[in-house]
Amino acid sequence: MALLSLAHVNKRFGGVSALTDVGFQVEQGEILGLIGPNGAGKTTLLNCISGVFPLDGGSIHFAGQRISGLPPHRIARLGIGRTFQVVKPFLSMTVRENAAVGALFGASNLQPRQAFQAADDVLELVGMAAKSGNPVGSLTIPDRKRLEVARALATKPRLLLLDEVMAGLNAVEVDEALDMVRTVHQSGVTIVLIEHVMKVVVGLCQRVVVLNFGQPLAAGTPEEVLRDERVIEAYLGEKYAARVRRAGG
Amino acid sequence: MTLLVQQLVLGLLIGGVYVAVAIGFSLVWGVLNIVNLAHGGLVIIGAYLTWLLFSAFNVDPFLSIPIVAAALFVIGYVVQRLLINRVIRAPIFFTLLLTFGVNLVIINVLLLLFKSDFRSVTPSYSGSGLSLGGVQLPYIRVAGLAVALLLAGAVALFLARSRIGGAIQAVGADRDAAQLVGVDLRHVYALTFGIGAACAGVAGGLISTAQAITPSAGEPYTLQAFVVVILGGLGRVSATVVGGLLFGVVETLAQTMVPGLGAGWANAIAFAILVVVLAVRPRGLMGRPV
Amino acid sequence: MPDSQPSGSFSTRPDAGGRRLRRVLLAVFALAVLLVLIAPLSTSDQADALGLPVLVDKSQIRILTTIAMFVVMATAWNLVGGLTGYGAFGNVAFFGLGAYACAVLVDPHKFHLPMLAGIALAPLVPIAFAVFVGLPLLRLRSHYFSIATLGTAVAVGEVVKNVEYLGGANGLFPPIVRRGDLLFLYLMVAAAAIAVGSVYLVLRSRFGYGLIAIRENEDAAAVLGVNTTLYKVAAFALAAGLTGLAGAVFAVWNSFINQELGFSLDFNIQMILMAVVGGAGTLFGPVLGAILLELLLQALAGQGTVAVYAQIGLGLLLAVTVIFVPRGLVDFFGGSSRLSLGYLRRTLRETSV
Repeated sequence: MALLSLAHVNKRFGGVSALTDVGFQVEQGEILGLIGPNGAGKTTLLNCISGVFPLDGGSIHFAGQRISGLPPHRIARLGIGRTFQVVKPFLSMTVRENAAVGALFGASNLQPRQAFQAADDVLELVGMAAKSGNPVGSLTIPDRKRLEVARALATKPRLLLLDEVMAGLNAVEVDEALDMVRTVHQSGVTIVLIEHVMKVVVGLCQRVVVLNFGQPLAAGTPEEVLRDERVIEAYLGEKYAARVRRAGG
Repeated sequence: MTLLVQQLVLGLLIGGVYVAVAIGFSLVWGVLNIVNLAHGGLVIIGAYLTWLLFSAFNVDPFLSIPIVAAALFVIGYVVQRLLINRVIRAPIFFTLLLTFGVNLVIINVLLLLFKSDFRSVTPSYSGSGLSLGGVQLPYIRVAGLAVALLLAGAVALFLARSRIGGAIQAVGADRDAAQLVGVDLRHVYALTFGIGAACAGVAGGLISTAQAITPSAGEPYTLQAFVVVILGGLGRVSATVVGGLLFGVVETLAQTMVPGLGAGWANAIAFAILVVVLAVRPRGLMGRPV
Repeated sequence: MPDSQPSGSFSTRPDAGGRRLRRVLLAVFALAVLLVLIAPLSTSDQADALGLPVLVDKSQIRILTTIAMFVVMATAWNLVGGLTGYGAFGNVAFFGLGAYACAVLVDPHKFHLPMLAGIALAPLVPIAFAVFVGLPLLRLRSHYFSIATLGTAVAVGEVVKNVEYLGGANGLFPPIVRRGDLLFLYLMVAAAAIAVGSVYLVLRSRFGYGLIAIRENEDAAAVLGVNTTLYKVAAFALAAGLTGLAGAVFAVWNSFINQELGFSLDFNIQMILMAVVGGAGTLFGPVLGAILLELLLQALAGQGTVAVYAQIGLGLLLAVTVIFVPRGLVDFFGGSSRLSLGYLRRTLRETSV
């Protein structure tokens, strides 16, 4: 049975359809990439899964239980963690305290003493143990993104939703972040990630779902999907797609 | 039936005062993101200035409006430039505390200057009015509504057409972008607050002709301005006009037509409206989408 | 290796400065306890009877009781305004409701409960009220929340004033307790201890961390699993209960309560000012603020013109505080900052345009 399954998910804002009839499944233990041009509805979809937005239609099941309609905190407690594209750290706290808040709530739900221990473990895992006592305000952007992952991870999720954790990082930082995501995955967490950097998608994901104008356009392995003409067209425009077609012969 | 019409008309006329009170409040809130708890205090300064001019020099309260507005503009500009500009990037709550403090100073300085005696401005035509088919139209109230609507039109025109108005709107829309294109934030903030204070002064002039004033008489008007802005919606002068008139009508009808309610319930009625609007339509009847 | 203990509250870290702060506060606390303990031996009545010198007179006991009352209110406000970051601007409604509830409960013609039972039960009314209005109000943010709470306080006061059963504009008169000064001092100090103790426990619990997370970023808190609605309403209700407790004690202590006393806008602003002056979001900031500011207010207190000057002074103090020491006095005592021109300039730069 799939860990996460979406069926006929619809979401509208005012009169505009943000998501139309989106349905796919995420298997236990995989890394699924969610790609698509800007405005395709990727972040909206994460917001729907994590309960930040209510659905206008369809259903989402997690580990056999219907989660659509539940408030965000209930979904977090069932074991879905997420990061935000624009990081939202708790600014007055230290790095360690940020991670500890994750461990106090979510699926891990620890008492303060154990939560700080769990926070230390998670910071070790994402490679931030040395900055544990720093105030968040002093962190660089890559570190803030790392912390965002650490905090979500501290909730002990079975499924982690990552929203563009690589965006804005340089090549070296991307490699470090890739290692981090692999480590997290090896610790037994299923991952859905939104990503624009194709190197990341190809390097990490076993399977990719492409969204375009709020609708699923294609799904498959990264290689399959990136060869798909409709996907190339959606990303690069029709003209370029035609050129690729000719060149490919 | 006549009673109902009379109350409706009275509500509209009272609503005129609320429009005048709320215009400056709404402008300051919309552009500076400050809920100015000293607004009622500024209104009462305007009322006292009008009274001073009237009792000492026998200046007609409607003629003294420009003088009062100019004086309040200066006060507002200085208060913003010297005080509020200093906390404008602090958490929102701090501007509430600061303007509350300013209000406290205003009320008590007025107490020192004028004592707590009731003062009123009574030109020769106060008390007289027009009777249309049994419906009374007091001249002062009618003139007050007219001034309020003129004020609203002037502010709207100023914001839409003038250079400074454009800068004010730009700052209200996006403070950082406005600064990038060379808007002097401190000056524009102070100008905005000054204009807000000038509007408060005009409202104070109108109020001085309609009720007896004391140093603390302005306090209810801050809450009422807030209700008007919530009711109409933030960010447009026309919304304030609609909100003010509607609030005047609803309040008057509630006090006179609902058994068991009376003048003692004014605040409770205002608050009930506030809560209902906030719960049902948080951005007001005509507010811009957030 | 960072130590594995939770590092206390987020705002008071146990560094060198923290220890200095603790010493200062311990000294203040010890002095307060000493005063409370010697009070029975030294007030006029008891001292007369025992032939001891009069060290503390009734007016001083009254001031101490008032200070304790504001410690309760400022500390309770801190739960919502300081920890959760919701700028409550109408907590005096809870004070008034607690006071009126207690007055009704002990009234011989109404419920006629014993005084202590009345005080113990009265906070239930503001708690219920906080849950009832908290659910819609706490969905509002920033100004909207602040002014809506202010409106609530004004409106509730007005409704109370119009209800015949509650004595209308005349108010209610709980039975006078003879020679009750000390009793009420103890009751109010007990209320203060309950309030500070509650916040202490909150700061060390999952609840407290959740509240601070809400203050820092409510969306992030929610997806981490914080039940934000429940937490906010719980904090609001706890603040209401504590503030209502102070109101209940006040009603029987003062043996008179009306709308102006119960829903006093002065009290409303003073408790906030105390918390902010002392240091919002910290455990002892509001305590310190309440002590210092109430002493200042007492020193300035007077009739007629003096009172007017005092109000002007209060207004200016508000302005100076929010402009120059927005983090509160605890920031200096805590040693995290030193009071200097540089500090003032830095604060200004951070918040001004």
